Amino acid sequence: MSIEPMKLFFKEIKEPIETTMIGNYAVAGAVTQTDPDVICAFPITPQTQSVEGLSDVVHQGRLKAAFVNVESELAAISYSTAACAAGARTFTATASQGYLLMTEALPMAVGWRVPLTMMISARAFNSPNLSIWNSWEFTQTNSELGWNTLVSENVQETYDAAILAVMISENSLFPTMFVHDGFIISHSVQKLTLIPDEIVRILTPKKPRHTINTKKPGTWGGIVTPSFFMEGRKGLDEAKEPVLGIMEKAFEEFGNATGRKYNLIETYNLDNSSKTAFLTMGSMCGNIISWMTKNKDVGLIKIRAFRPFPHEQLQKIVEEHNIEKLIIFEKSDSLNGMLPPFSMSIASALYPLGTIFRSFIVGLGGRDVTRDEFDVAKKKMESINSMKGKLYMYLGVRESKEKIMGVEI
Amino acid sequence: MLTPEYVKEILKDYTIKLRFHARGGQGGVTASNLCVDAFYGYGVCQPKFGAERMGSPTESYVRLSENPDLVRSNEQVYGPHFVSVLDPSLLSEVDVTAGIPKGGWLIVNTEMDQLTIQDTVKRKDINIATIDATRIALDVLRRNITNTIILGALIRVSHLFTLEELSDAIMKRFKGEIAGKNIQAIKQAIEETCIYDMGIEPDFTVDSKVPWQQVELGLPGYKQLDKAGVWYLDEQIIPVGSDQVNTGTWGEWEVLWDEEICTDCAQCWYICPDFAILRKKGDDGLWHMAGIDAFHCKSCLNCLEICPVNAIDKRMKQGPAACAVPEDQEGGN
Repeated sequence: MSIEPMKLFFKEIKEPIETTMIGNYAVAGAVTQTDPDVICAFPITPQTQSVEGLSDVVHQGRLKAAFVNVESELAAISYSTAACAAGARTFTATASQGYLLMTEALPMAVGWRVPLTMMISARAFNSPNLSIWNSWEFTQTNSELGWNTLVSENVQETYDAAILAVMISENSLFPTMFVHDGFIISHSVQKLTLIPDEIVRILTPKKPRHTINTKKPGTWGGIVTPSFFMEGRKGLDEAKEPVLGIMEKAFEEFGNATGRKYNLIETYNLDNSSKTAFLTMGSMCGNIISWMTKNKDVGLIKIRAFRPFPHEQLQKIVEEHNIEKLIIFEKSDSLNGMLPPFSMSIASALYPLGTIFRSFIVGLGGRDVTRDEFDVAKKKMESINSMKGKLYMYLGVRESKEKIMGVEI
Repeated sequence: MLTPEYVKEILKDYTIKLRFHARGGQGGVTASNLCVDAFYGYGVCQPKFGAERMGSPTESYVRLSENPDLVRSNEQVYGPHFVSVLDPSLLSEVDVTAGIPKGGWLIVNTEMDQLTIQDTVKRKDINIATIDATRIALDVLRRNITNTIILGALIRVSHLFTLEELSDAIMKRFKGEIAGKNIQAIKQAIEETCIYDMGIEPDFTVDSKVPWQQVELGLPGYKQLDKAGVWYLDEQIIPVGSDQVNTGTWGEWEVLWDEEICTDCAQCWYICPDFAILRKKGDDGLWHMAGIDAFHCKSCLNCLEICPVNAIDKRMKQGPAACAVPEDQEGGN
């Protein structure tokens, strides 16, 4: 090949390098730097290049990791969980239907407390038609199984998240997935600054933890009677409590080492005249920030840690800035629920405060989310003053050949 | 003509958008990557999201600005100020001028003259630049790869980055010898670009996106599509089936069949992956070879290789030629 996308990672990175990369290769690079022992994933659009990039680095000899080819996503997650339980630092990646196929083994990784990391390039589920484009499938299912979830807005954030995920996983002993929007980030070329290998090594030291060992035999995931199961679950629940604190600490350490400060929730222009804020996560935040350069009367709340959901922090932010109305944008829907899944988390966090909000379902299956959606949502919100009626609406859907639902042209 | 100083001034507060049209494998995405690499400010490059296949029409987009907040948007590019077309055959196949605002630039790799292009694209309010990048590529690179060469023409009309900045970006991305040859080809392209300036300058301060164009009105709405995701062939709500895709334009070669030599052995018919070998039933009740379906033939050349009697031949679709209208004769005011 005349072009080698992973070339920069073939040798030790000694100082911060500014470069341009697509999201998937950037993740592959960051994973290389965290020095995993096992990489095991099954390819699926739009996740493919992340694993492809890693195979390049392993083949080239830079990374001494076992690169394991498997026959399906279920095999990938099972192998990864087991490898991680045996003490190996392990990385896997998937999207959409592959994530569904993994479902069976996902709760096991949580229950066994393995510090596994997984990248997800968010892509729609196949219903009613197949789509390889972006939706937030990861919010629609499996989000209550106990995986930590970070969501990234751009290539720099997803690169950093790959390193943060290792820090969070190994400090909390819960598996962590980090998500970027499929194609929009996974295939976009953006500028980013790479962290020197030495700093990554300091941030992600390999430390001892409980592992499978022949000298200390035991049964993993064996059957228990009703006399034990609830205690097991409560034990997990309690172990989950400090995770948000661990995340905050990881963000802080990372910020001190690299100069890039992250938080569980990031806010922009909240002390605005209309006391209204958009609330969303992922790549849409960038669209809103650009749009806000001309619309200075609204703010933005960006959720970076989706699981565990930082509900106390959200309450604090809304209270401190006297936010009266929230415009929630999300790329997933719920065909049965009162609210789509991301909004549901927010609704339960806001319940004690009674903040007025509406949820707008946009950008499903890769439809672009533009200033048109933001303009309409902002305008609609001006006349909403209660929580009565339907709390969500689809925005940017053709009702017929001539009409867009809920929009006057 | 735009001046470097003016472009620099615009980039402080506005974004400049580019679009590249190419065919899968010609490196349109690499060209747009290089723009982001070479640009001194902030930039984002997005390919047209989806599956890219060898020879099929592809698009990629670039947004550049000095203001990081403006480039932070992940919105797609709707009104490109500069559009580069790497393959002249796309002019008649794809609407290459879609969304270009008045005064925008269309840069085409072609030996055609600018007036012919103006007629083909039916736009008199945009400026046109042409470069015979195919010839330069065959001369300098010895391969028909034009993606870097068209950037030479882009530098000439847009001044978004300089030759030195682009050379640095190429050096980082390509291996030594290939990088050197590409830079040499770009230098030649900057000199040989033919410019047909209509004397209209684009208004970079106005964003030319049509409201709600991403929703694509005119296609059926959700009420018409309400069929559990099934597209019934007889209802024709939307065009269905891969036989309606003109894959014939994807290939590099025109495949020729010689009826005189053909022995009707039908080996080509069996091996063709696209059912592009046509047969018809003769008076004798047997099937005979009848020709090649140019609408679907992707010129994989399997038939040519398997033919035992050399009844199938190939001819390259576009060849190298000289620049038709030298710059000093046309435009350039």
